[in-house]
Amino acid sequence: MWIYEKKLQYPAKVGRANVQMAKYLITQYGGPDGELAASMRYLTQRYHMPTPQAKGILTDIGTEELAHLEIIATLVYKLMDRASLEEIKAAGLGAYYADHDRALYFVNGEGVPWTAAYIQSKGDPVADLHEDMAAEEKARATYEWLIDLSDDPDLNDTLKFLREREIVHFQRFGEALQIVQEYLDTKKYF
Amino acid sequence: MFTPNDQMRLARAYVPFQIFSKRLDPMEGLLKGTIFPELYFPYRGHKR
Repeated sequence: MWIYEKKLQYPAKVGRANVQMAKYLITQYGGPDGELAASMRYLTQRYHMPTPQAKGILTDIGTEELAHLEIIATLVYKLMDRASLEEIKAAGLGAYYADHDRALYFVNGEGVPWTAAYIQSKGDPVADLHEDMAAEEKARATYEWLIDLSDDPDLNDTLKFLREREIVHFQRFGEALQIVQEYLDTKKYF
Repeated sequence: MFTPNDQMRLARAYVPFQIFSKRLDPMEGLLKGTIFPELYFPYRGHKR
């Protein structure tokens, strides 16, 4: 069960509307290494984790990724705010507009819709935790490329926060991996 | 190069456990994205 707090985990400010940047950033909404994929991956894999710590970490981080999803949604929305049709067309979002107007939809920067094929739920906790650690590194790298693409200090401030969270999550998954590996080792010899 | 100890085996990934020591104050932690100074690795940008 979840409790919703009607506020963002971190402020989502942008210096100015920027449709081109919205097109790049939306990959963190519905792209392969984005926040939706991260959240769904962890919240699904948690059921087959063998220790309560691993279940708890996947639940906590999967929940926090939903908070990040909300921040990305806010940022994309603000970047698109009051964009003219000319700006939308110039940024290569004419096809997006035809399908969605200015509404948010789960796509990557190229408009490819989100798919569950982006994530795995292998049933092997060691394999799944490795995927989770890789997912955090890929999301961190994506935030770095987005910061490179952006010249908006306000937007970059939020992107830097989200990037740092990926590093913290990697550490927590790494700790979960040690716990799970030790647990599986002791189980083997009894 | 990292030297394995006798607790470790091959074909396995290891992340050291974080030991609680220092903590930033909550507002600074929020701004940085972590309250743990030893986990703070800001992006400096790529030189290309």
